[in-house]
Amino acid sequence: MTAALELEGLRKSFGKTEIIRGVDLSIGKGERHAIIGPNGAGKSTLFNLITGRFPQTSGHVRLHGHDLAGKAPFEINRMGLSRSFQITNIFPRMTVFENVRCSLLWSMGYKYSFWNMVSKSRALNEGAEEILEQINLSSRRDLPAGVLSYAEQRALEIGITIAGGADVIMLDEPTAGMSNTETDYIVGLIEKVTEGKTLIMVEHDMGVVFGLCDRISVLVYGEIVATGEPEAVRADQAVQEAYLGAALEAEH
Amino acid sequence: MTDTSSIMAKKRSYGGLSTGTVAPWVICTAILLVLPYVFQSNSALTIMNQMAITIVFALAYNMLLGQGGMLSFGHAVYMGMGGFMCMHVMNWVEYENIPLPLPLLPVIGGLFGMGMATIIGSFSTRTAGTVFAMISLGIGELIAASSVIVVAFFGGEEGVSGDRTYGLPVFGYEFLTKIEVYYLTAGWLVLSALLMYLFSRTPVGRMANAVRDNPERAQFLGYSARWVRFYSFCASGFFAGVAGGLFAINFEILTEENLNLVTSGSILLITFLGGVGFFFGPIIGAIVFTLLQSVLSLQTELWQLYVGALFVLTVMYFPGGLAGVLMMHVVPYKLGKLGTLVVPYIKTLIPAAIGILGLASFCELMFHFKHAAVGEHDMSLFGIEFSTHSPIPWIVIIGLTVIGFWLAKRSSAELRETWGNANVMTSSKEGGAQ
Amino acid sequence: MELVLVILIDGLVYGLLLFMLSSGLTLIFSMMGVLNFAHASFYMLGAYFAYQISRYMGFWPGLILAPIIVGVAGAAIERFGLRKVHQYGHVPELIFTFGLALLIEEIVQFFWGKNQVPYDAPEVLQFALFSIGTNEIQAYKVFMIAISVLIFLCLLYVLTKTRVGMIIQAALSYPRTVEALGHNVPFIFMGVFGVGTALAGLAGVIAGPQLGTFPGMAFLLGSIVFVTIVIGGLGSLWGALVASLLIGWMTTFAASYNVAMADILMAVGFEMPEEMSEHALRDIWTLTLPQIGPILPYLLMVVILVFRPYGLFGKRDA
Repeated sequence: MTAALELEGLRKSFGKTEIIRGVDLSIGKGERHAIIGPNGAGKSTLFNLITGRFPQTSGHVRLHGHDLAGKAPFEINRMGLSRSFQITNIFPRMTVFENVRCSLLWSMGYKYSFWNMVSKSRALNEGAEEILEQINLSSRRDLPAGVLSYAEQRALEIGITIAGGADVIMLDEPTAGMSNTETDYIVGLIEKVTEGKTLIMVEHDMGVVFGLCDRISVLVYGEIVATGEPEAVRADQAVQEAYLGAALEAEH
Repeated sequence: MTDTSSIMAKKRSYGGLSTGTVAPWVICTAILLVLPYVFQSNSALTIMNQMAITIVFALAYNMLLGQGGMLSFGHAVYMGMGGFMCMHVMNWVEYENIPLPLPLLPVIGGLFGMGMATIIGSFSTRTAGTVFAMISLGIGELIAASSVIVVAFFGGEEGVSGDRTYGLPVFGYEFLTKIEVYYLTAGWLVLSALLMYLFSRTPVGRMANAVRDNPERAQFLGYSARWVRFYSFCASGFFAGVAGGLFAINFEILTEENLNLVTSGSILLITFLGGVGFFFGPIIGAIVFTLLQSVLSLQTELWQLYVGALFVLTVMYFPGGLAGVLMMHVVPYKLGKLGTLVVPYIKTLIPAAIGILGLASFCELMFHFKHAAVGEHDMSLFGIEFSTHSPIPWIVIIGLTVIGFWLAKRSSAELRETWGNANVMTSSKEGGAQ
Repeated sequence: MELVLVILIDGLVYGLLLFMLSSGLTLIFSMMGVLNFAHASFYMLGAYFAYQISRYMGFWPGLILAPIIVGVAGAAIERFGLRKVHQYGHVPELIFTFGLALLIEEIVQFFWGKNQVPYDAPEVLQFALFSIGTNEIQAYKVFMIAISVLIFLCLLYVLTKTRVGMIIQAALSYPRTVEALGHNVPFIFMGVFGVGTALAGLAGVIAGPQLGTFPGMAFLLGSIVFVTIVIGGLGSLWGALVASLLIGWMTTFAASYNVAMADILMAVGFEMPEEMSEHALRDIWTLTLPQIGPILPYLLMVVILVFRPYGLFGKRDA
């Protein structure tokens, strides 16, 4: 069985600085995988390499066994990989409903058509309503997305990310900048909407990571120092030294 | 904010067909049918034809600027090229006896405009923003300049002219009279406006908005921002070409003027004046601008100064344009408080109007004083004749201006307060509504 | 050979003039992200103000005063107009400057009429300084070159040797960071806009007598200045210099050498059609270099934008 996402010898340099220094990682179907690590470890860069935002310097990224080299973000998305961003990335001037409906268009096969009316398709509109229901934003459906509260915008972004039906979902710090209640809410939401899908997330909040994920990879200075189940990673000596110990202590 | 949102959330619209969306189209079509009976003079028909053409062009332009977030400084090219092609076809119809009915001519203009847009869009739509704007400027200048060089197609200085009446008669109509041309133009106006509206409701039209707001996010939803822009650009080129075809039918001549930067600039001005945020914005812009152009230019030499000032003030204070100003009143209307605004509006806008007219009169007076022929001291404003060299008109005009603006400023505080109140629900109203 | 020298000098005059406009424009763009469509209008205002001043006080006070007045006017427009529009985003800003360009042209016509005004070079400079063959070179042209070079050196000094210059240089590449460092960015914006427009005004003052002072002068130069900074690369001063000189020489050469397309086509081996008036490609056969001279810059710009969207020297994507 091929892995949902497989990284092999992935490297990325900006000028002379090597940010990602040979990452090998295999994430199975249906797995919930977290990538943690100290600031500047290259977590977001890794995300950007996987999703085609930057080209890699060397190495391979394979999605369901297909090499993603040279593919543009929209092509990667069509192959079933969807992502959210660290800084909220939505369509601020469009309504919440339109935001969700737009993210459904490609997966429902509408492509660049100019002979279909979006209002005519029941599947499309009901699908969008359903997702709004899932992310609890039905009461906001006709507001411009730009006026929502921060937590609501994050929820909307998650909604947009999962709407297209991609089976590999990548979330970049979904709970960054949130209060405890908001974090609990978003974690519940993520659990609900990624049911049965492969989830890869970058997260700083250890409570979220340990509660949500099946496996964890620790990225330090562009290298993965440990991969494994939460308890194993927590016990790993190298991890404790590099990062986790300090983070856990800070939390207590 | 939450109060108004809960009202809006009650209805579930998919942007589809309903009485709310169909009614404006029916009403507008009815108005277009009746208009020639109200304004029967030849000059009124000319103005209305001009208006209809400008509306089609402005709507096409807004497909780029408003819907797609692409600022073009050379959109006259697509209208102009479509128009030139139509003139040539019109002449072929005359000399070669090709059986092409005149009402179909705009289709040819549209296809030619779309062809041009396909070629140029293939490289210009890679990015939006400044690079797109600059390429459009460069292409616009290039084609405008080559119109003097490539005489075979553009006819050089005197342009290309023809005669629309030599084609096949359609149901006995030969399009000799202005009124026949009016109905032809109005028909195309309704058809193209409807098609452009429907385009904005299609998947690619929706994605144009998405790409305008956030091209990167759109990429991660499976759409190539470049292709979305390209399709919008081609569609916009088509309708600009249709406008060109209508221009050819109406004026029976196209010249370099139809391609140059002035025309491209005015359509930007018209569209922005009307408001880029709403579909009907450019329509208002085109109507207001054409009226200003044809009515004001008869009254005063300084009309372009006034239009320029109006434009700059609009950008500064009402970036949503006239449509934006209109739509600002939707919330007070929904709250049933539109009535409270009437009195403060009257108290502010009438003195302001007096002030503006006074200021304009002052400009006219000064312009006459500086530039009139030597010894010519008499001028008339609003039907009153006076000498520019006597102090009385100066005092009266300055006095009126100052008093007008002073009164307007004094009541503007009240207007602002009422406006603030009109946009929130008062507690008693809230109880009633829920 | 003599002709080449004369063209080189004429092209240099035109190119340096373009540089005085494009340097200000590119500075304003890199600092504020605004493509100032009204930039050439400030150039026109410079010429008209200098003309008005010269009627009472002669040419020389105008050379100093007019650019200052234009700069102050520019700073005021930034402070009371552009800053207000800034909050709506870049497109409304661009549209605002576009409207401003229209308005300034109308205002100029309002005060000075539609015709060219008699603004002339000072009599001290109205003589032939030297001649190349039969071509006399006017002293005023040399004066124009001298002023432009002087301005260029001043700009270079300010940008590389002073504190203000350091901040501006930093802002060229990293506008956000400069803001974060606590510099009064709105004030710097106003200053840069004022200085940029003052430079354009100065260009107008010295170009007015040479190229004519009339309401269409801004329109004539406006889009070329844009083309210049786009070719040079938005935000690059060296790019602006190279592109200005390139365009200056290119257009002057094209206007002076009457190379006919027919000659080229025949040299390549095509046969000249006998009946030209009905030939489908007659326009290509009758094409000459001076005819296409004015559109060469636009052609160059489009080609450059297609293959190198950030211009010759630009680093940042526009």
